[in-house]
Amino acid sequence: MSSENALKPDAAAIEESRLQRLEIDRAARWPVGIFLGSSLFWLLLGSALAIAASIKLHDPEFLAENAWLTFGRVRPAHLNIVVYGWLSTAGIGIGLWILSRLCRAPIRDHRSLTLAAVLWNMGNAVGTWGILRGDSTAVEWLEYPTYAAPFLLVCFAFVTLEAVGLIRRRPPGHIYISQWYIMAAFFWFPALYFTAHGLLILAPVQAPAQPPINWWFAHNVLGLWFTPIGLGAVYYLIPKIIGRPIHSYYLSIIGFWSLAFFYAWNGMHHLIGGPFPAWLITASVVASIMMFIPVITVAINHHFTMVGHFKKTIYSPTLRFVVFGAMCYTLASFQGSSMAIRSLNGITHFTHYTIAHAHLGVYGFATMVFFGSIYYIMPRLLEREWPSRFLIRIHFWSCALGFIGYWSFLSWGGVLQGIELNQKDTPFLEIVALTMPYLKLRTISGSLMTLGHVAFAISFCWMIIRHRASDGEPTLFTKRVPDPAPIHE
Amino acid sequence: MLIAVTVVLIIMLLGSIGTVFAFSWAATHQQFENLESAAESIFDADEPIGTPTDPSITRNS
Repeated sequence: MSSENALKPDAAAIEESRLQRLEIDRAARWPVGIFLGSSLFWLLLGSALAIAASIKLHDPEFLAENAWLTFGRVRPAHLNIVVYGWLSTAGIGIGLWILSRLCRAPIRDHRSLTLAAVLWNMGNAVGTWGILRGDSTAVEWLEYPTYAAPFLLVCFAFVTLEAVGLIRRRPPGHIYISQWYIMAAFFWFPALYFTAHGLLILAPVQAPAQPPINWWFAHNVLGLWFTPIGLGAVYYLIPKIIGRPIHSYYLSIIGFWSLAFFYAWNGMHHLIGGPFPAWLITASVVASIMMFIPVITVAINHHFTMVGHFKKTIYSPTLRFVVFGAMCYTLASFQGSSMAIRSLNGITHFTHYTIAHAHLGVYGFATMVFFGSIYYIMPRLLEREWPSRFLIRIHFWSCALGFIGYWSFLSWGGVLQGIELNQKDTPFLEIVALTMPYLKLRTISGSLMTLGHVAFAISFCWMIIRHRASDGEPTLFTKRVPDPAPIHE
Repeated sequence: MLIAVTVVLIIMLLGSIGTVFAFSWAATHQQFENLESAAESIFDADEPIGTPTDPSITRNS
């Protein structure tokens, strides 16, 4: 019997759907692959600089003789590499792939996107070089020198144009919630970056207006760039992996639009106690508390979609990373809103508690969701499986345990630090000494997280250079139970 | 300073108009209707509801 005759009507639809997805993944292979692959390089470099900066906090003489490796350069280099090199690079790749899948339209202009990926990486390389040689702008989260910005601008023009093209080529009907999140992020980030860059670096506004713009930008990078890409990935991956629609689409819509309308007000809560108009800070505190609305809608949706399926995190690497990240999103958001309350902010401001909170958002949530997304995307891009279950296990447990330790130690140490800072009779150096054990534990935890990143990078490179096509054997956390056919292609 | 305020105001206006436009477009193009089918729109004929798409789950369930 020929294969044509063997196809029933719905079997034809199944085959058509499979081939369409295959075409979409193949069109995305180069541009998305370059974005994801290069993001790992920045992840490793950012991790190495993070450990160096962390050691310097309890051992200031470490690498102090070389001007390029002093704390004032290493720390901003770490921050910018992680924000633009790792998270943004991976975020663009993940966003484009999910958008392409959901629009059921292949990426059309993969050459310009590949060029965009090259330009983005050049921007990161130039920016990092600039910071390390002493050209930092000294504006937090925007330390890349001006000459790095054009690379990023041109890259984003290509990326946003392709994203708009994908949306325009989609079949008629609903725009799924992940498409809303990702599309919005592709507009929000360039608007944020280039507005702040213009007003703080190219044509700086007067000094009193600079901190509000700085924190409007820095806070929104998390809330209007990493958050929508991360939530877009979670809203796509969890239902696809477990084969169940999200618990409440209605809640997901409320979550998205409340984020879109109200998040941008949040950043001023970083300036509580500063010399700024009271209404500005108060409006931001109110907006921060209002963030409970989108966060609770997202948390309910994640939890109730997963109810009855949590056992699947035993087997699926993607699901385990993504669910871990989704839980951290809820926790980070609740913690962030609580930190906007003036009485609590009076203790936690200017302490390591804030650093712990920032890492809960960018690492616990965004990074873990991006790891999970890459575990899902790469086998479909390359049509081969991950090579080693052992490496994935090392990756997850090193990152998860390292991060839990990092967040716990710094949060606890930060609260103690804040309480003591409010005692006018306590000498400052005593407070510094009080934080020392927590800073050393931070270095140990960070090293554990870096071990996980190295395992991930080895796994990624091994997967690329291995020329064997997938034999249908999935890479599991646990031993395989015999069963039917491979399902992704 | 005047230039900076003008730039901020223009960007605020564009952002606000863009968001309101997107919201009204969504409302007038049935994006807030038939929510059940919207939630199911990510599934395909070969990856239907009820079918996990991670091979590690399929092999173990």
